[in-house]
Amino acid sequence: MNRELLEKFHQVAVSPRAQMDKYLAEGKKVVLTAPVYTPDELISSMGFVPMGAWGADIELNRSKEYFPAFLCSIVQSILELGMKDEYKGASALVVPSLCDTLKCLGENWKYAVKDIPFIPMTYPQNRKPDYGIKFTRAGYERVIRDLEKAGGTYDEEKLAQSCKIYNEHNAAMRKLDQVLAGHPEITAAERSDIFKSAFFMTKEEHTALVEQLIADLEKSEPADEKLPVLVSGILTDAPGLNSIFDEMNMHIVADDVAAQSRQYRTDVPEGKDPLTNLAQKFADMDNCSVLYNAEKPRIQWIVDTAKERGAKGVIVVLTKFCDPEEFDYVMIKRACEDADIPVALVEVDRQMKEFEQVRTNLETFRDILTI
Amino acid sequence: MAEGAKEVKKSRPPLDPNSAKYKLGKIAGDAFKDAIAAKAAGKPVAWVSSNFPVEIPETLGLATAYPENQAAGIAARGAGERMCVTAEEEGYSNDICAYARISLAYAKLKECPEQDVAMPDVVLCCNNICNCMIKWYENLSQELNIPMIMLDIPFNPDYEVSDAEVEYVTAQFWDAVHKLEKLFDLKWDDDRFKEVSGFSCRSSRAWLKATECAKYVPSPFNGFDLLNHMAVMVTARGKKEAGEAMETLLKEYEENHKNGTSTFRREEKYRVMFEGIACWPYLRATSRGLKDRGINMVTTIYADAFGFDYNSFDEMIRAYCSVPNAINLEKSRDKRIKLCKDNHVEGLLVHTNRSCKLWSGFMYEMSRQIGEACNIPVASFDGDQADPRNFSEAQYDTRVQGLMEIMEANKEARKENEEKGE
Repeated sequence: MNRELLEKFHQVAVSPRAQMDKYLAEGKKVVLTAPVYTPDELISSMGFVPMGAWGADIELNRSKEYFPAFLCSIVQSILELGMKDEYKGASALVVPSLCDTLKCLGENWKYAVKDIPFIPMTYPQNRKPDYGIKFTRAGYERVIRDLEKAGGTYDEEKLAQSCKIYNEHNAAMRKLDQVLAGHPEITAAERSDIFKSAFFMTKEEHTALVEQLIADLEKSEPADEKLPVLVSGILTDAPGLNSIFDEMNMHIVADDVAAQSRQYRTDVPEGKDPLTNLAQKFADMDNCSVLYNAEKPRIQWIVDTAKERGAKGVIVVLTKFCDPEEFDYVMIKRACEDADIPVALVEVDRQMKEFEQVRTNLETFRDILTI
Repeated sequence: MAEGAKEVKKSRPPLDPNSAKYKLGKIAGDAFKDAIAAKAAGKPVAWVSSNFPVEIPETLGLATAYPENQAAGIAARGAGERMCVTAEEEGYSNDICAYARISLAYAKLKECPEQDVAMPDVVLCCNNICNCMIKWYENLSQELNIPMIMLDIPFNPDYEVSDAEVEYVTAQFWDAVHKLEKLFDLKWDDDRFKEVSGFSCRSSRAWLKATECAKYVPSPFNGFDLLNHMAVMVTARGKKEAGEAMETLLKEYEENHKNGTSTFRREEKYRVMFEGIACWPYLRATSRGLKDRGINMVTTIYADAFGFDYNSFDEMIRAYCSVPNAINLEKSRDKRIKLCKDNHVEGLLVHTNRSCKLWSGFMYEMSRQIGEACNIPVASFDGDQADPRNFSEAQYDTRVQGLMEIMEANKEARKENEEKGE
């Protein structure tokens, strides 16, 4: 196994600020992108490096001046980092309107972090009909106008090229997800690093590394299977959480994690107008707690994928106070139980220092799965 | 109230059937009964979110029930915790909005003596209040195996409503109409729509004018009245009788002013704006905490929230895009500053509502700005619109007392300045 490559992913995953400084030193401009989906293809095409701003595992202090305690800590920690100048040098923060807490982030950001402009991306929930696609496009046009104020230039050709680069990255990440399902020797912590590093690198760079890793894995003999599981949730990057997965000898054979595979399921389709194609991509997206769908196909997707990948159980990692996920959990639990797939629920948040409760839950779950 | 103390209930004389209180109470009660009767007669019933364009079901003749209104009633009658726990037993987190938990519990139990409603054949969701509503209605649709009509009105980060948003919402409006026509063999009628719009605007105008009576000092009404009367604006603003009842309310408030009377039956020493949804399980405690100190809650954003007055279809769409929880901080702030200034507000009491992330999520900054712009003190307390476990009467009392003391000190300072001729 190419340890150097895994170490590279790890370094990038744990040092977003160093990555940002590197790009700034190269004369590039950085635009921060908040969860869950942002038009990174567009941002990149306008001459910026989009960098995921999903917060950090830190204590919340200053953000409490703006947020009550019962709002999700991912979003609170984004504001905390902003207020502590950890994002200094970024040209803007793009925040989508996909949940109530994200709406509040933008409104607070305007007053709490005045030197980094807030750019809203208002997505429609009725995104599939023509009028929805048109509204998404109008939202992108708004983002273009704001990015132009931040020094960017819009060019259709460049957007078309950028969409191609992002589609290639999507394909690499989907392939990686499949390949990792057959390689239990890649730990949960390493898997997390590979996905997380994608937020802090240009897609060309990340695709090259991922393709190298895939090639290496395809040449190597897989280790013996551990305990195959499917993990679902918004964010699962906490080292404390991943080390427990690894201690419990669990192998993540598939994920339904917003910060991981959910990002790469849908490509920008081809067509005459690149901006409309990008809006079509959003229309085509599904199977996510922040994207309206009365039929909730995400639930069946989890059941089907768990079966297809041979997962013995599903672990729902619930980010505390994330109500979109909390509503879906009930349906996931029922559907998995109906399909005889055991489900475990663990709650996490960005301020968590002790993972003992998670450990106890997962120990019990492991015992259930291995009886 | 001291622990163990019992309230002695006075027998009340029957309400005058010509009074606004009687009329409004009847309309609110009939809204539930009418839907139950419609269901019994085999007609379809919709569960509707409170800021969904009422013009759609009303024009189509679709019977309606409003889960938020039902949940508030259940909570006010003391069953909030029982219903929330039922939902939690199904796996719903206790972090989820308590209205949603109560409603999902009802979807399971299909009965709750504190407020029964007709079971729905369709759910009509509009997220101009919050995105939580989408998840709640998705789950209702799944739990009850009925269709969901989604009218998406996104949170507007800009001050004005864009043409793109109007176009998007308009397209959805007609899409919703056509889907409902097909689902239940209903027929849209432009003349009926015109009539319903007229009723809705008439109710809204009277409601807005009635709430504006708080400009008088002392106010001719106790602001807690608004929390009750609001139910009619939620459930029946598109009905003729709602407009009539609201006009009666306006007339009574104007008469109170002329006669020097008020439904706030104390000396009005201080005037505050109340921010947030009421703590329904503790309505009496929260009301008394103010009243006993001579504090009248003269205004709330609810005054604006259901004031859908428009002159054209486009204006109607823009009104639905401009409800309080769909607008940015600056617009939200300016609306509240206007209410505070118009109504001579001396303090702002903010309910940090555990159930409502959107309403509470930028309230700290907004209330700071309102306090500064109006030169009034701000106090907040933790509570919940329907889950009684998230409220402490002791904390509420301390915060209200603190607010009162600052308002008193401000009054004295003003008096001193006036005496000095400054």
